[in-house]
Amino acid sequence: MNLFQGLTLLLFAGLAVLTVSAGVRGTVRKRVVLFWLSLWVLGSIAIAWPRSTAVVAHTLGIGRGADLVMYSSVLVMIVAFFYTYTRFKRVERQLTLLVRRLAIQNALTPSDRAAPGAGPSSPDPAARSEA
Amino acid sequence: MTVASPDIESPPSHGGLAERPSLASARVVIVIAAYNEAQSISDVVRELRTQYSHVVVVDDGSSDTTAALALDAGACVLKHLINRGQGAALQTGITYALDQGADLIVTFDADGQHDMADIARLLEPIVQGRAHIALGSRFLGRRENMPLTRRFVLFLGVLFTRVMAHARLTDTHNGLRAFSRYAAQHIDLQLDRMAHASELVDQVVGSGLPYVEVPVRIRYTEYSLRKGQRSSAALRVAFDYLMARLTR
Repeated sequence: MNLFQGLTLLLFAGLAVLTVSAGVRGTVRKRVVLFWLSLWVLGSIAIAWPRSTAVVAHTLGIGRGADLVMYSSVLVMIVAFFYTYTRFKRVERQLTLLVRRLAIQNALTPSDRAAPGAGPSSPDPAARSEA
Repeated sequence: MTVASPDIESPPSHGGLAERPSLASARVVIVIAAYNEAQSISDVVRELRTQYSHVVVVDDGSSDTTAALALDAGACVLKHLINRGQGAALQTGITYALDQGADLIVTFDADGQHDMADIARLLEPIVQGRAHIALGSRFLGRRENMPLTRRFVLFLGVLFTRVMAHARLTDTHNGLRAFSRYAAQHIDLQLDRMAHASELVDQVVGSGLPYVEVPVRIRYTEYSLRKGQRSSAALRVAFDYLMARLTR
């Protein structure tokens, strides 16, 4: 076992411990814990026994184990990108709805102009009762 | 028939055109989305206010005095606490206008490139019951000092919309538009930034409501061009629009 393998396995072991403890504390859902845990375990196997990836690769018709790792990580990254993108869009949408709600609630009419308390952030609620 | 919520299934003629108000009695609300338009907003609002009593300016998180100037000029001001983009700002203004009982809603640009005289021309087909939506077109009308690159990018936009939305429009990215109350109720802009223009065309075509294009005059000034979109922004617009179609 070389230095790279030792360090990476140590890192993965630490991450696995963190993942499990997060699952035990209940801050992360069980599904997510299993996902990350399987990732750490599979990664550890691939690092500890580099030949093992070649076996899987050959059965899939891919020449080298390293290629298999690369293809699958690209695939995972694309999926992750779409997941993050849709999530991001959802948050943006919610933010817009929130900003819109606040804007409409705090609408300033020209009559607010003269009112002394008609600051930009705290319009007099009574002043907009005309609606 | 004012109580029954109109649904898209029912033919448009029963959806509000029948009880259309005359232009004189209709509550016309002008909606302006503004982001850092302190230089032009006062004049734009003041001019509009000479003929239209309800002008709504949505200040889209400006860092300058746009909101205060618009209020001083006689507009209702809605403030987006955070910049959300033109599509979001227009939708905020439209939602508010509907809340306020608008019969007719007009969207107008803040940078002074639109001509107030065109508003009446846009409202005409709606009031006459020929359409629910009137879209301004600079290619049917006059355009002053339009740069060649702008013309090319807008042509691509028209082509794009023709392919994606199957709408034969001459100008898909014109901010001057008019909606009947009924049509405005069927519009829900979800693309916050500039892709809302294509989204709007989709919704207009998808709603099955009759629409017309009306020639309008666009004044390209040094200011409006500087404030306007860079041609390269078209790529971002196309990306936003396509991703929305893919992921929805």
